[in-house]
Parts: sequence; structure tokens; C-alpha cells
Amino acid sequence: MQLGFLPSFPLTFSYPLLFGALLVAGMVGGEVARTFRLPRILGYGIVGFLCAPFAQALGLDLLIDEARIFVNLALGLVLFDLGRRFDLQWMKRDWTLAAMAVSESLLSFAAVFATLLTFKVPMVHAGLAAAIAMTTSPAMLLFTVHETHADGQVTERAMSIVAMNGLLASILTTMMVASSHLADKPQVEVALLHPLYLFFGSLAVGAAMAWLTRVVARNIEKSKDVHFTLIVGMVVGAVGLATMLRLPVILTLLAFGIFSRNDDRGYELLNVNLAPLGRLLYIVLFVITGASVPVEALGAAGVLALLFIAARGCGKLVGVLALAPVSGLRMRQCLGLAMALQPMSALTLLMAHDIGNIFPRFGQELGDVFIAAVIVMELAGPLLVQWGLRIAGETVSDDAGSMTMQLRGARPRDA
Amino acid sequence: MPLDFRVSEPLTFGVELEIMVLNTRDYDLARGAADLLERLKKADLPGEVKPEITESMIEINSAVNRSYDTLLTQLRAVRDGIVRAADRLNLAVAGGGAHPYHRWTERRIFPTERFLKVSNLYGYLAKQFTVFGQHIHVGVASPDDAVYLTHALAPYIPHFIALSASSPFAQGQETSFDTSRLHAVSAFPLAGQMPPVTTWEQFTRYFDEMQGYGIVGSMKDFYWDIRPKPEYGTIEIRICDTPLTIELAAQLAAYAQTLAAELLERRRADPVEPLYRVYGYNRFQACRFGFEAALVDPWEKRSVNLREDLLATLDRLLPRSVAMGNTMPLRALAELARARRNGANWLREEYAQTRSMPDVVRRQALLWREGEKVPGF
Repeated sequence: MQLGFLPSFPLTFSYPLLFGALLVAGMVGGEVARTFRLPRILGYGIVGFLCAPFAQALGLDLLIDEARIFVNLALGLVLFDLGRRFDLQWMKRDWTLAAMAVSESLLSFAAVFATLLTFKVPMVHAGLAAAIAMTTSPAMLLFTVHETHADGQVTERAMSIVAMNGLLASILTTMMVASSHLADKPQVEVALLHPLYLFFGSLAVGAAMAWLTRVVARNIEKSKDVHFTLIVGMVVGAVGLATMLRLPVILTLLAFGIFSRNDDRGYELLNVNLAPLGRLLYIVLFVITGASVPVEALGAAGVLALLFIAARGCGKLVGVLALAPVSGLRMRQCLGLAMALQPMSALTLLMAHDIGNIFPRFGQELGDVFIAAVIVMELAGPLLVQWGLRIAGETVSDDAGSMTMQLRGARPRDA
Repeated sequence: MPLDFRVSEPLTFGVELEIMVLNTRDYDLARGAADLLERLKKADLPGEVKPEITESMIEINSAVNRSYDTLLTQLRAVRDGIVRAADRLNLAVAGGGAHPYHRWTERRIFPTERFLKVSNLYGYLAKQFTVFGQHIHVGVASPDDAVYLTHALAPYIPHFIALSASSPFAQGQETSFDTSRLHAVSAFPLAGQMPPVTTWEQFTRYFDEMQGYGIVGSMKDFYWDIRPKPEYGTIEIRICDTPLTIELAAQLAAYAQTLAAELLERRRADPVEPLYRVYGYNRFQACRFGFEAALVDPWEKRSVNLREDLLATLDRLLPRSVAMGNTMPLRALAELARARRNGANWLREEYAQTRSMPDVVRRQALLWREGEKVPGF
């Protein structure tokens, strides 16, 4: 009897199956973390780490390559969302906000740069790595803000500063790519044109997408559902366009978000909540990030990675606290803000990965440092953000009037 | 604690205004009161700015005033100070009786002892109480005058409702009411009106009884539409939505002041019981239909159109308003009534034009900021 209709053995896992499994496993990990009153993201990352050893056996390494598109989409959405929260008008009205963003970015750059130079890392590579160190994981911040229902000055400022440090880092790495080109292959045209293409190309695509989105928004019903579809469609399209044109997805989507917020004088585009979709993509993002970082990197680059994290963390802390007296924020709020700027995750890996693709030596030299740093921060980052927002008094558990408290404390005669 | 009535200079007046604290991203309510108040500590403003029950509200208190002009100048200065501080925090502030689409579940109680107590007792009602009202205080010479005036002003409550109404939307929907805010107030067991006592002595007996039962601790626990305020020596009209502009808020206060002057001088001796038989119905009519409400006059036993009744009252008060410096605000109110303009209409027109609630609130915040530049408000 011929049983040709049966699948051939051994069975191969299809990508959707693996993808779905990772999503559900991540979700379960998040809920387990929740029962220990830990941030869900921590659970997603840990599930990722647990998957990593089996990755090869299950063919997951292929998935991680294939899943790059999901990582890009998730990050695209995150960066767009972040860009929408970057308010130039606010920076004009309160110069201390922009000053704080610049100071924490520059100080974390300087601290990491100096640390890497002490370890004899070549100057250009140390500079690129320090520029990447300026960024904060926008996904971790946005997710934690959403999860803890954080609302207030620290939350709002953290999001603007993260958008700004992402922007500064993208600009700086793009510029440094030029000098690295000169160091690696002395071709002046490439050295000049490549960064210009990356930088202005991203801005142009971002601006064009923002313009197109507004034009469509103007001519459709102004309802949240319709605008949600429009934005998701445009973000996915922009990710595809950036990939097609070999432009950095990060800068393109950040620019798209920033242009659509700051050049929307007619208020045509509604501010829709991307969280329902974001949530799914965040889980995938964090599980995949966890699964794609080999834990061995910790051994290979542990000490340098810890120094890298410490230098970066101090830079951010000092950068924020230095401006505390003029910012109008209380010290506690500034401390909370500095904590919210600490996480590193997929964005860091992606930037390091992309630079590693252009300059293999960068990848060989510092790849493990980034991976090890991300492993540490996948665990510490969510806790730091949560703690930061909590000490700033902006998370929901700080609400003294929450229902649970009322149920515990209410008496029939309490007027 | 027995009630001690602190007599004040008659017909001095002041207002309290609860206003919305908004984010500038989607113009939903924001948790910004504490930061805003912190920043305002350094500003030298006439009057006071205080927290309210949830962290998305602040309350402006004017000082005690004798004239409309000084009140308006003062309120404008406070408003400008708040707007400046909010700008630096990337927040916006706005008038209006209720936020059109906020979700009460997202509100947080402002952690003062009193608000926590209220929240503890009233549960979700406390968060739903994130509505924004204007209170007008008018000084009286004696506690008996306070009791008298509390009743005497009651027939005019629909006028104040219609003029200030600015909460036609709730939970993202058109409510068909000009003001939906008052429903949030009515949910409280001690809302409504003062019992039909006619002297301060009777009132204190009533208060002592309620206090004895443990129902109230102070006058603050009565959420009546009009109540005597012994600590200030005033009566307090609490029915108005916070108008969309500071200017209208001052005009309403001038109307209350002029009306109080007339009622104190030409005392009415009508019994109060018939008034309260129709009070709730008249109040509903004004909330639902605004200027077009059909009010019942319990003494004349007839139905009157709110707008006509208001215009007749304003007309009657005009001669008296001259000496009080209130002619201009009373004329402005008559103008609004004639044109059937109130905040609710304005908000509905804005929504019809933009088809977007966040846009409506954004424009509402702009109107609050630049009220004097917008004629008709």
C-alpha cells in the first residue's frame, strides 16, 4: 500500500508552527513572570534564552534568520510609535528636555568610548560601539509603560529622550560608517556617498511616507479603526521600502514617526493605540532576541560587557542628574528617568548586527560584548524601567485609590 | 463639631473652577496635576490652584472680589500662569464639564487624606467624579441670609445650567443632554438640595442630627446644588459646568452676584415646598434641552421657556447691574441666550466639523487659552 499522502519523516517544522510555538511559549513565560510580580518582558526573554540551546536541533536558527522580517516589523512599529511621541514643540518650550537628551547621550557615548579605548579597541570601532550604546530599547520602555499603565512627566520625558537618543545614535553611526569605510577600504566616493545615502535616504523615505499617510488620512473617515489599519499598513510598507532600498530600517521608521507627529499641522492623522498589535510583535521580538543570543557570549565577553553596561549606565545617570536642578523635576523623578533609559535589547543587537555586516571586523571584535550586554539587560532592563517608573510614582500600583485598596480598607461608615 | 458661620462682607464674590489636565498627544486626560501644581508653586498667581479628586484635574480658586472687573483680571492671570506652566510640561488645560472620551477606570485618586477617604467610601463613584464644575460663592451678612438665599436662588438654577452647559459628550458618545456632568454628581447619596429649613437654627439642628448619625463630618459632605458655606460666610452655587472660557465663568459669577443682590433686597416670602416639588424636573429639563427647556413655575402654575425666563430675568436685573459694574457681563449673557449659544452647542459644532473627538478637545484647550479672542464666549 502506498502512503505517499503522509508527510515524510523525519518531520520538518514549518516556520508558522515554530513561530506560533514561540509566541505561545513567550506568552506563557510572561504570565509565569507575572505570578512572581515580575515584568512580563522578563518572561519573554527567559523563554527565548531557554529556547536558544534547542534552536539548532529544532532548526530555529533558520527561523531566527527568517524571523528577521518580524523583528523588523516589530521594531518598525515601536520606532514609529516612539517617533510619534517625539515632540519638537515641547523641546522648544522646555529646552531642558532636549538638553537632557543630549547630555545623557553624549555622556554615555563618552563613558563607553573611553572604556573601550582602555581595552585597546580600535578608535573607529570604539566610536561605533559607543554610538550604539547611546540608544535605549524603545520596545522595553514602551511595553513596560503600557504594562504598568505609567503616565506622567517621567514617562513622557523618557519616551522623548529615547526617541532623541535613537536619532542621535543613528545619525552618529551613519556618519562614522564613512570614516570606517576610509579606514577599511580607502575609497573616497563610497566613504562619502554611502553615509549620505543612508542618512538622507532614510529621512526622505520617512518624510514621504508621513506625507502619503497624511494625504490618505485626510480623505478617509477619521475613526481610530480606519487609521489603525492605515498606520499599520504604512509602517509595514515603510519597513519593506527601507529593506528594498537598503536603508536602515531604524532611522527610516523613526523619521517616519517624527515627521508624522511634527509636520501634521492639520491634525489629519489620529493618534491610535498600536498596543494590541504591538503586544504580539513585542512577544515575538523578545523571545527571538532571547533565542538569538548565545549564552556563551557571556563567558567570552563577560567582564568587558559588564564594564560596557556600567559605563553606559553611569553616563546616562550623570547626564540626567546633571540637569535635574534646571529641569523642574524632583530628584526622585530624575533618578526614575535615568533608570528608564537603561534597557538595551533588539535595537542594540540590530544596530551592532548591521554594522557588523558592513565591517566584519567590528562584528568579530565587539559582537560578543553586545550579545553579553543584551543578555544582562534582557534581565535587568525591565526591572530597572519598572523600578524607575515606580519611584517616579507613575505606575498604576502607586494609585492609592485603586479598587483593591478600597475593597481592603472600606467600611460602611467612613465619611 | 458645631457649625460656626463666619459672616462675610455681603455680595463679595469669588469662584472655584475645576479644569481638565490633558496630554497633547491625543488630548485625553493626563496624570499631570501633581507636576503642574509643583511648578505653579513658584509662580506668583492671584488666588490659589489646588488638587482635585483625581490626578487629571486641578481647581482654581479666585480670591474674594467686589467687582466683576477685578475677578476677570484675576482669573485671566491665573489661567495664563497655568497655561505657561502646562506648556513646559507638554500638557494642556481646558474648560468644559466633562471630558468627552476619557475612561474613568484610568483615573487615579489624588492622594490627599480627604480624597482617599472619599474614594474609600464611594468606590468607583469617586473616579467617575472626574467631572469639572464651577462653584460661585456670594458673601452674605448673616447665616439666616445664607439659608434664605440658598432657597431663593433655587428657581434660577436652570438658568445657570443652560448658560454653562458644556458636556454634551460622555464616553465617546453624544448624550443628547447639554450637560451630562450632573449625572456623575447625582450618583452621590448626599447630592440634591438643602432640606426645606428656613432659619440657620433649623439648619444647624438638621446638621447636628446628620452628624450624630455619622452621615456627615462637615458641610463638605453635602454635594448639594446650592449650599451655605459657613467657613467662608457665603452661599455656594455648585451647579455650573466649568465653562469653555474664563470670561464666561466670570460672567456667570456676575449674574449670581446681581441676582443675589436683588433677592436679598426684594425678599420673597413664597413657601419653599412647591419649589422643590418641581425642582428636579426643571433641573432635568435644563440639563437635557438647555435654553429650550420647558420649566414649571410652581407658584404661577404654568410652564415657561427657559430662554425667555432667563432673558426676562437679565432684563429685570440690568438697572441694578449698573451700580454693581455688571452691565457688560449681563449683556454678554443675554447675547448668548438670544443666539442660543452655550458650550454644548459649540462642542457639537466642532464635532460636526472635525468628526474627531480628540480634535474637539484640542480646540477646547485652545479656546480656554485664548477665550477673549473668540467672540460669543
